[in-house]
Amino acid sequence: MSVSNIGNLMCLYMHEINPGKGTDAPEFLIKSAAKALMQSGGRNWVPVIVKEIGEDEYEVIGNAFVYAIAEEVGLERVWCIVADSSDRTLELTQILTGELIPKVNLSTATRDEIQAALRYVIEKPNSGLSGVKLAIATNRIEEAPRQLWQSLEPITKLKCGITKGKKLNALKEVFYLTPEVNTVSNNDDESLISLSLTQLRKLAKDKGISGYSKKKKQELITLLAEV
Amino acid sequence: MDCSKIKQALLSLPDGASEPIVCSLFISELLKVLGFDAMGTIPEFKTGSGGNKVDYAVRKNLNNDDIFIQTKSNPYLLLEAKGKHINLSPNSGHYNSTVKQLKGYLLEPNCKSAKWGIISNANHIQLFRKHGKVIHPALPCLEITPDNLDKIITAIKHKIDNPKKALTVAIYNNKGGVGKTTTTVNLAAILTRLGKKTLIVDFDPNQQDLTHSLGLESTGDTFYSWLVNKNSKPPSGLIKPCKVSPKKGMVWQFDIIANDEKLQYIEEENLRQLINFSRLRQALEPLTYQYDYILIDSPPNWRFFSKSAIYAADIVLIPTKHNSIFSLENAATVIKRFIPEIQRQRKDGSPIALPIFFNGESMTEAAKLVAYKAINKIIAQGKKDKHYPIDLTTYFYPKFSPAKKDPHIFSIPSYATIANAAFARLPAVYKNKIATEHYLALAKEYFLQ
Repeated sequence: MSVSNIGNLMCLYMHEINPGKGTDAPEFLIKSAAKALMQSGGRNWVPVIVKEIGEDEYEVIGNAFVYAIAEEVGLERVWCIVADSSDRTLELTQILTGELIPKVNLSTATRDEIQAALRYVIEKPNSGLSGVKLAIATNRIEEAPRQLWQSLEPITKLKCGITKGKKLNALKEVFYLTPEVNTVSNNDDESLISLSLTQLRKLAKDKGISGYSKKKKQELITLLAEV
Repeated sequence: MDCSKIKQALLSLPDGASEPIVCSLFISELLKVLGFDAMGTIPEFKTGSGGNKVDYAVRKNLNNDDIFIQTKSNPYLLLEAKGKHINLSPNSGHYNSTVKQLKGYLLEPNCKSAKWGIISNANHIQLFRKHGKVIHPALPCLEITPDNLDKIITAIKHKIDNPKKALTVAIYNNKGGVGKTTTTVNLAAILTRLGKKTLIVDFDPNQQDLTHSLGLESTGDTFYSWLVNKNSKPPSGLIKPCKVSPKKGMVWQFDIIANDEKLQYIEEENLRQLINFSRLRQALEPLTYQYDYILIDSPPNWRFFSKSAIYAADIVLIPTKHNSIFSLENAATVIKRFIPEIQRQRKDGSPIALPIFFNGESMTEAAKLVAYKAINKIIAQGKKDKHYPIDLTTYFYPKFSPAKKDPHIFSIPSYATIANAAFARLPAVYKNKIATEHYLALAKEYFLQ
């Protein structure tokens, strides 16, 4: 048998567990859930997810809500699953328990992914994005040259109702970018041809070429290929 | 075509053969007889960036620079095989899940080029066609016997060797006033803007709004005589171009078969004596090799013209209004009664309905709740229907699954500009940016990958 506890369901002493970041669940939910737990025998069938940080020392990485309830009830021991202590597991656990919102890579996301993410942000209660038209925002963002973006800022220039500040910040919750460095290699005419005029102009701007706005597509391609 | 080897393979398959045995004995022969050799066949083809793999992807190699097993790009047909013990008879649980699996693969990024999908367990086989985002049956789910094997293979081979270019879409709801004509015109307009060659067929002789909305006159009897004089090619003057030039040197053009006076005045009975429901489909057949999309605007009601339109279609797009219970109930009737009626006559598993969408009414939260309530009731009734029990969920809530109760329905909001555009004899899409965005979203949601 392995000496490691990873993967085990264990009934751990509360005082051995460091609460980690804790939960921001409202008092009402914790108190009433605590009552429900007591009335049904005091066993938390949904375990707390912990990682081992020392001998008989653990830290909550997921289901902090359950831990808070156990604390409220005053349980001596709480059922936990011991996970490994990598950062990836921490993130995944919190995504699976619904404590962390997963993010979509906007550089490569499909239309459906963009639409779903935008819909989520727009339809959230008190969303900063209320009033943004889903269909329009999806079309504009999908068609924009997102693989070249270094930040989400260009979204504010797409005229889809998303402005700097609160609205753009709301998007940072669901999108991240991994801009491809030099997606368009300089001497590769073919990849340049596949870009639209707008994308070419953007590229020219990024490369610091002046007078790009008056150039025709073919001229821009030759110009960009030379740089 | 030599079917002796595959017949031998079919006969030698033991009852309850598992998937690998079905693959090595039967499927490998099937792909060969369909014309795909070893250099064009990849087993366990990776369909996307996730770990999904379809049992077979195949493509014919046209030149030596692009050998499929080397480049592993642009598959033409995907095949998902199952063991004989898995029941693939239509509407069984395994059938539904296998079809869903195949559709999922066909839509993944590495399979954009795929035009066909097959499911088979050596007892049953079905061919699906993919056009953009739309996947519809190309043949019904057939039971394989040693006697009909040649026939099935000939039918499949004929389809995949002569792929049609066009997707034929009927825009229909037997409730009037839901925006069928507006949808048809604007969808055609946006598809044209996206570079798709599009043809509209105005098959609503009572209103002819479509013809008029584009500033065309309905005169003469060109359309009528084309339908009635069988064997005739589309006569000159039947297909009229509708050109819009947004700026100098740029032209958007879609074509239209306008309605004519003769169809308007002839009694339906008299027309029925001359031509069949299937005539429109037959007449449009040569055009399906020329266009990317053929959109048929059909009248409300369930009589000659609408039946012909549905018969001619690969898929049916049903506009509804959230605030009209009748348009929702009628949509359900179309899906559970009318379309299956046509499917039984067509015998190729099509047409099928696309999920409904809400067309052109502004919607408050309260109105939305009322609409959802009505839809839930319609779905519940559909399941209890004595004659045709059917699960309508996916037609109303396409994103819904047992574990994910997502009730989103695509909708086009109401804008005065969309309706007003008719005064200018121009599709709204060409006049108004907002309309363009919404119809673009419609086209992407339903048709384009």
